[in-house]
Amino acid sequence: MTPSSTNRSGWAAYLQVAPLTLVLICFFAVPVALVVIVSFFRYQMLVGIVPTFTVKNYVDLFTNPTTWTLYASTLKFTLIVLVVTFVLGFWIAYFLVFHIRNLVTAIGLFLVCTVPFWTSNIIRMISWRPVLGREGLINSALQNAGITSQPIDWLLYSDFSVVVAYVHLFTLFMIVPIFNSMARIDKALLEAAIDAGASRFGVIWEVVLPLSKTGIALGALFVVTLVMGDFFVVTVMSGGLSGSATSGIFNDLQFLNYPRAAANAVILLITVLLIAAGIFRLVDVRKELVR
Amino acid sequence: MSASPSYGARPWTFYVLATLFTLFVIFLYGPMISVLVLSFQGPSGSLVFPLREPSLMWFQELFSPRRTGDVAGAFGRSLPLALLVMLMTVLISVTAGFAFRRRFRGSTVIFYMAIASLIVPGLVLSIGTLVTFRYLGLSASWITSGLGAHLSWALPFGLLIMFAVLGRLNPAYEEAAYDLGASRWRTVKDVVVPIVFPGMIAVALFGFTLSYDEFPRSWLTVGTKNTLPLEIWTMTTNVTSPALYALGTVTTIVSFLVIALALSAILLIQRRRSTGK
Amino acid sequence: MTTTQGSGDIRLVDVSKQFGSSYAVKNVNLTIPHGSYCCLLGPSGCGKTTILRMIAGHETPSAGEIFIGDQMVVGKRPVERGTAMMFQSYALFPHLSILDNVAFYLKMRDVGKTERRERAREMLARVQLEHLKDRMPAQLSGGQQQRVALARSLITNPKVLLLDEPLSALDEFLRLKMREELKRLQNDLGITFVHVTHTQPEAIALADMVVVMDTGRIDQADTANMIFNEPETPYVARFMGGQNVLSGTVASRAADLVRVRAASGALYEARPDKAAKVPAEGAPVSLAVRRDRIALSPRAEGGPVVNAVSGVVEATEYQGTYVKVTIATEDGSIFVANVSDDAYFASPVDTGDAVTARFRPEHLHFLSKVDTGAAGDPYLDAH
Repeated sequence: MTPSSTNRSGWAAYLQVAPLTLVLICFFAVPVALVVIVSFFRYQMLVGIVPTFTVKNYVDLFTNPTTWTLYASTLKFTLIVLVVTFVLGFWIAYFLVFHIRNLVTAIGLFLVCTVPFWTSNIIRMISWRPVLGREGLINSALQNAGITSQPIDWLLYSDFSVVVAYVHLFTLFMIVPIFNSMARIDKALLEAAIDAGASRFGVIWEVVLPLSKTGIALGALFVVTLVMGDFFVVTVMSGGLSGSATSGIFNDLQFLNYPRAAANAVILLITVLLIAAGIFRLVDVRKELVR
Repeated sequence: MSASPSYGARPWTFYVLATLFTLFVIFLYGPMISVLVLSFQGPSGSLVFPLREPSLMWFQELFSPRRTGDVAGAFGRSLPLALLVMLMTVLISVTAGFAFRRRFRGSTVIFYMAIASLIVPGLVLSIGTLVTFRYLGLSASWITSGLGAHLSWALPFGLLIMFAVLGRLNPAYEEAAYDLGASRWRTVKDVVVPIVFPGMIAVALFGFTLSYDEFPRSWLTVGTKNTLPLEIWTMTTNVTSPALYALGTVTTIVSFLVIALALSAILLIQRRRSTGK
Repeated sequence: MTTTQGSGDIRLVDVSKQFGSSYAVKNVNLTIPHGSYCCLLGPSGCGKTTILRMIAGHETPSAGEIFIGDQMVVGKRPVERGTAMMFQSYALFPHLSILDNVAFYLKMRDVGKTERRERAREMLARVQLEHLKDRMPAQLSGGQQQRVALARSLITNPKVLLLDEPLSALDEFLRLKMREELKRLQNDLGITFVHVTHTQPEAIALADMVVVMDTGRIDQADTANMIFNEPETPYVARFMGGQNVLSGTVASRAADLVRVRAASGALYEARPDKAAKVPAEGAPVSLAVRRDRIALSPRAEGGPVVNAVSGVVEATEYQGTYVKVTIATEDGSIFVANVSDDAYFASPVDTGDAVTARFRPEHLHFLSKVDTGAAGDPYLDAH
């Protein structure tokens, strides 16, 4: 119990969260609510939003096979990126926490991983062009080494380059929370498991993995929402060949069809929230965070 | 003492994971470095290697608006916006973090609202904010709707960091300060803030870069004048010269300066604490 | 399935452990007999935990050999050594129920679910915790957690149980209770217990063999009685808390009486017991005398007195059955007398009184090392 709670009633707490709450209401709750409302309005060419109730936007979307294709493509990317970033994030965090014996070195290497996060995403995305392109570093290296005679086309502007960019941009969101969870594991637990005859992988499977659950859940939450909500990476890195769930929204906005864009946004939002709820069901993230 | 490291032979997994880590770091930095190098491309050079007749011409080109759009203007908006978001994120998420140390009615709702704000796709929020401003009869601008949209994403991040920081703050420090006759304000100023200061710098760093680099939330909310990421986005479709890389180098340098500033501030505080000066 | 094979005696041969450039343990030789209760005793940083962890296999010695039974165990995995470790933090897996914590070892050996749960239940019944089997570790009290940790160690059927400060997290009442339980358990099982502690009463109460350590070295390894009554070094005498250390040079030596002259001019007469190694005439020597073998009287006036220390009472502390009187002596050192409460209240002394403390020649005990004074001995003033 903090001292404040003993001699002060709750109003101080309300005063302290008031600014946060105000911003969240004005710039999150109201906008999202309006998106939901507008999604049930009619769109009329040249007029724009007509406030009469209709479910036409949703019917349009659900009967349009493009919607399904785009969602399938987004889910495919989400799943692939989730698996790759988890595998990378888990082993890198494990390496930093349990294999680096010097704490200062571990923190230094951790910072090395996080620094690119603070730089522009778009620049990091573009920076793959001179590497993966037809005349890029990899293709010229392969040709110089005589491994291939023709430049490989699928390196850039393909599903491959989309995944590469996602992994490049988002692996950090896995590393940080998993690192945080692992750093809290009492090293004696590992030794106790070794005492009991657990193998190296036994220790990881029985002790490290279950105790990193919160970090993994948080990381997955970030990666899922970032990939599902992305439009720009997929557009740039696929060269316009692949789309995402948000591409539909983008197209509608080009024609100022706000109601249908809103309906599409609501569907996306519900999908993301369902996945998030699934993750929260598995792990009580709040209990772990506020602890 | 019991946590002393063991100096036995390293297991084979160490070498496997060290290799993985090295490759990851190359993966992380390699492309960025190639952009950095190529931004010094000469007049006869192209968008790919090799580097021919290194020069600074693309940096000069960058700031001549006729060719590449309003880069200087975009900088002039993105920097103050990021600084403002940084300042507000620190103030708001630090105070809110303190509120969450206690249970109060509605805390769960606010917590989940913050989490939802964090995970709602940026584009959805962008549309919502634009529509809201429309209905209010306001026009979107980077300093109003843009600021709000950035805060809706930076604040929850700041809050999460404050949870981590305050989770380690032992209430006994505050109790000791009260026992020693400190007022509530003096306790915060002389005891709590100095202890959580490194955490506050981390929050500031987040606030700055989340705004400085934010794209989806800026897209519909900054109005007619672009912020830097939007300017770069426009350039990716219009500009096919190494000027694009030069811009990348410039923004990355700004980012690195900010990171270096934040990290050295934290290091300085830690050192001062450990040497007692 | 059982791992108990051969005996559980432990031999450390010239074992050293280096962290970077500093030694945590240096050239330690130690034999712990099978079936004994051994306590490693010393202040924090003395290397006792490092020794325990090297026996357990959680640290590798930089040099030397460790045997358990007749098996050289350096380089062997912990589970192959027949040891089980109880951690200071208990290290219960927070994500597993009590039952699954205890069954963990069996799970690692691929014992079927039904069988391992049955055996874990039996083990929990032995520590009287069967009713809590489905709880999570965080829901248990400190004492209960410790019993679970004990059950988890014992299910491996070890030859040697290693305990790292097992009682330090408990309150005083539980500590005494668990102390008895540990001792009884060791008797019942007949296996070797190696117990690391920094509290002297714990070591004296439990151990068949006490190993007193000081900055990476073993000062003395002996029975509790010997350690307490016949410390070999000034460090042990002071660390065990029951002794005063006096120093001087041998003035004369006869078969049954040795005279020692202190720097202050005081003269001590001692009757060395048969084994004591008395140095040659003129050599420096240190002597110890138990605090409870001292008689106090008001300051004696007049000429020099033999076997006496004079000074001013600095503090008195009532301890229930005796009174601890701390005296600041004339040469600036500290001398402590534990006076029985009857004797004390018959002629009480108070802070500031000038007193003389006397002791008998047969109670002076020769130390094998000469006292080097305060340098590097933090227990000099720990009275």
